[in-house]
Amino acid sequence: MKQRFISSVQIMLQLALTTVGLTGQSYPGKPQIVRCRSQEKETFSCWWKPGSDGGLPNNYTLFYRKDSEEKIYECPDYLTSGPNSCYFDKNHTNPWTTYIITVTATNEIGSNSSDPQHVDVTSIVQPDAPVNLSLETNTSANLSYLWAKWSPPSLADASSNSHVYRYELRLKPEEKEEWETVSVGMQTHYEVSSLKAGVKYVVQVRCMLDLGEWSEWSSERSIQISKEQLPPEKPVIIKCRSPEKETFTCWWKPASDGGLLTKHTLFYSKEGEEKVYECPDYKTAGPNSCYFDKKHTSFWTIYNITVRATNEMGSNVSDPHYVDVTYIVQPDPPVNITLELKKSIKRKPYLVLTWSPPPLADVRSGWLTLEYELQLKPEEGEEWETIFVGQQTHCKMFSLNPGKRYIVQIHCKPDHHGLWSEWSPEMYIEIPTDFRVKDMVVWIIVGVLSSLICLIMSWIMIMKGYRMMAFILPPVPGPKIKGIDTHLLEAGKSEELLSALGCHGFPPTSDCEELLIEYLEVEDSEDQQLMPRHDTPSKNTKIMLKETDSDSGRGSCDSPSFLPVKCRESRSLPSVDVRAKEKKGGKASWDTRCTASEQKTLPCESIKTCTWLAAQLPSNQAAMFAYHSTVEAFKITLNTTNVNNSPVLVGNEENRQSLYPIAETVYDVVEKVREMEYAKTDQTTVQVRQNEHSNKSPFLNPKLMDYVEVHKVRQDEKPTVLLKHKENSGKTKKCTVPGTSKEYTKVSTVVDHHILVLLPDQRSQNTPESQEPVAETSRNPQQSQAEKNTSYSTTTPSDSRRDASGSDYMDPSSFMPSFK
Amino acid sequence: CHTSGMLTPNGKEYAQKIPREELTHVILKLLQAWKEPLSHFNQYIEHHQELPDDSLSKAKQISNMVRELKTGVEKIWNSTAQRSDTSVVFCSSIFKVCCMCSTGLSISNEANMMSDSDFIHCFRRDSNKVQSYLKILKCRIMPENSC
Repeated sequence: MKQRFISSVQIMLQLALTTVGLTGQSYPGKPQIVRCRSQEKETFSCWWKPGSDGGLPNNYTLFYRKDSEEKIYECPDYLTSGPNSCYFDKNHTNPWTTYIITVTATNEIGSNSSDPQHVDVTSIVQPDAPVNLSLETNTSANLSYLWAKWSPPSLADASSNSHVYRYELRLKPEEKEEWETVSVGMQTHYEVSSLKAGVKYVVQVRCMLDLGEWSEWSSERSIQISKEQLPPEKPVIIKCRSPEKETFTCWWKPASDGGLLTKHTLFYSKEGEEKVYECPDYKTAGPNSCYFDKKHTSFWTIYNITVRATNEMGSNVSDPHYVDVTYIVQPDPPVNITLELKKSIKRKPYLVLTWSPPPLADVRSGWLTLEYELQLKPEEGEEWETIFVGQQTHCKMFSLNPGKRYIVQIHCKPDHHGLWSEWSPEMYIEIPTDFRVKDMVVWIIVGVLSSLICLIMSWIMIMKGYRMMAFILPPVPGPKIKGIDTHLLEAGKSEELLSALGCHGFPPTSDCEELLIEYLEVEDSEDQQLMPRHDTPSKNTKIMLKETDSDSGRGSCDSPSFLPVKCRESRSLPSVDVRAKEKKGGKASWDTRCTASEQKTLPCESIKTCTWLAAQLPSNQAAMFAYHSTVEAFKITLNTTNVNNSPVLVGNEENRQSLYPIAETVYDVVEKVREMEYAKTDQTTVQVRQNEHSNKSPFLNPKLMDYVEVHKVRQDEKPTVLLKHKENSGKTKKCTVPGTSKEYTKVSTVVDHHILVLLPDQRSQNTPESQEPVAETSRNPQQSQAEKNTSYSTTTPSDSRRDASGSDYMDPSSFMPSFK
Repeated sequence: CHTSGMLTPNGKEYAQKIPREELTHVILKLLQAWKEPLSHFNQYIEHHQELPDDSLSKAKQISNMVRELKTGVEKIWNSTAQRSDTSVVFCSSIFKVCCMCSTGLSISNEANMMSDSDFIHCFRRDSNKVQSYLKILKCRIMPENSC
């Protein structure tokens, strides 16, 4: 049961709480009585402050009871005193009783009451502030008085106006903080005398009844006490100016007035006259100014100008100002400033600045002559550069940098005494950059080309470092001694070498040939050695020949080793086999070639300069004149104009037995340094020049038709091969006979200036050969091809003997192609 | 100033209205009026030597200039006017005054009375007058570029 009750109570509480929680509404908060006041002891009002309203509209009710009674009354008047108030009128007010007042706030949920307030009417008396406060000042005889007037506060109940208030007044200067309070008594006006002139005062009034408190202070009133009235101070004439030398204006500064109206007048007189005039025009030029028009302006006379300030107390005159209009001319700034860009002859642009004089100035009649001055600075610059231009109205400016911005200003002045005008408005100048595309393109091209050239140069340097060094600093050639046979050297038979040389004990030298070679003997013999012969008597050569003959593998079918042997010495290729008679200059070239060749460590194959024409023909060989396809590289063509018989490069196919002379081609000396392509098939070529000159004829031994002389005709480092004709082609076709007879091969033609086509044996000639015309035709590969088969050539480049350095001869047999 | 008594056009309108001969004559009169006082002044400062040297040289320079100017204007005057004698009956068309103007003889006494500052002041003014008149004259005779 109890539990049930408790539980039900709890439930109800919970319900209530939830209700509150759900709706947010509750009974109102407690109101509070703020104050109660009585204005005149006959009525009073009370005001309260509501509490929280609990979310619902509240009703407020005021209940009161007198302390001597128990009855509770409700407020008679809620309206008169405003919201949340209660007004007790005369009937309800008893000054001698204490009221106990309570305010109750009620809403739907509940109600709440304030604490009771004990109110004693007599103690809450406070009248309203006085109203209608007005102030006046009066200044007489240098004394200023302040006259204040007001009215008593108005009452709600107009009937009882007979209350007697006591008043109090306070005042202070506006800027100050402290009030000066004066007790006025019961009158509603007051006069204050101790006032300072020129000060603004603020005044307030309040009142009180015999009981209670003072009212609030009334609203403020302020008043300005006028200053002491004095005559005005002296005005000052500031300046006089004439803008065009026809009129002028004068300005003055007004005198400070003491609050009174001050009037200014201007008087002037001219030099030499006594009469004083007043300013003709006060308005045109603005306040505090006087404008003299044309009629009133005279030149070359001095004006005496004064200004007088007048007010009620008196007047004051400024100091006289003497002015001669001629000297006070200050024109307006120039106008119509224009810029024009012009191109001078040198295509550097310059600027022409033109302007016109100010419109008022009469320059045309010459009455006023102006001088101009420019002021220029770059936009970011600090200082102005002034340029005096004179009387001209244009200026050419050459010193401006393209692409930069400049500011320019102009002002002017009369040429005689006068003043500079104001600066004209700023003018901005910017010269466009003359970006000539042409120039840039040129520079770009130059840059690119130079960089390319540098790259190429460096590349060349890298690649051909050696050669360049050799070119620039040729190595010191080793000594070449005539008669040294590289074979001998190789063989190590130094004795023989030396003996060949004829000097014993001479150390073997390098193989570079420095001897002049007259001609090459092409042997038609077995050994088939090309033996160069020297001009210089060299009997040794013969000996050598023989010796070498014996030594060398004669051009037999079975001397394959010759070539290799010869090949071994890859140095000094050209000169070795080919001794050419060189001219003076030629020698150097030989050497050069020698050295160049020396530098090369070429495998035999790569020797270009080896050119062989080998006539091969062992009998057992078929188609002896088989030549390697590489033949083409090994062609010597001779420009044989002298050859009368149709030379033919033919192999003797028929006669197998016969040994055909193998024309041994001459090595080309090192070609030009440029040709460094060893990879190519040997393109050794020999320049063969037909010795057409008669002086060369001695070389052309008719007997030795087949001799091929390598003769150097020109300085162009091309060894030439002279054809030695041999009448009787006494060619023995002995293959294996190492006869001493030499076989010579006729050179048929020179093809392409560097290919020597050798004649095969005439007797055995029956095969036609194409005879290329003299040289000029390009190498006819076809022909050569055709002839290749029939031509003699060395087989393998490797076989070709390049260097044969230093040796006197070449063994034709060495050139024998490997027909096998 | 000793030249204050001269009738000279006092403004632009006057200067433009009077005929060329009159203007030339006025200029000439002014220049002539200053011939004597300048020479006196030169003598004065030479004797007293109170001024610095450059002022002295400047004064001499000015005197020369005035003399030359006078000569030039005389030429103009002689070319425009038919009379070559210096004594002229000169009637101002503006002021309607005729006067017998001789060349500054009567003025010289006054000139001696002037103080230095007055002298300089008067000279400055008169030279300005002459300059202005000459410019107007120039623009009338040769209205070219600068006018």
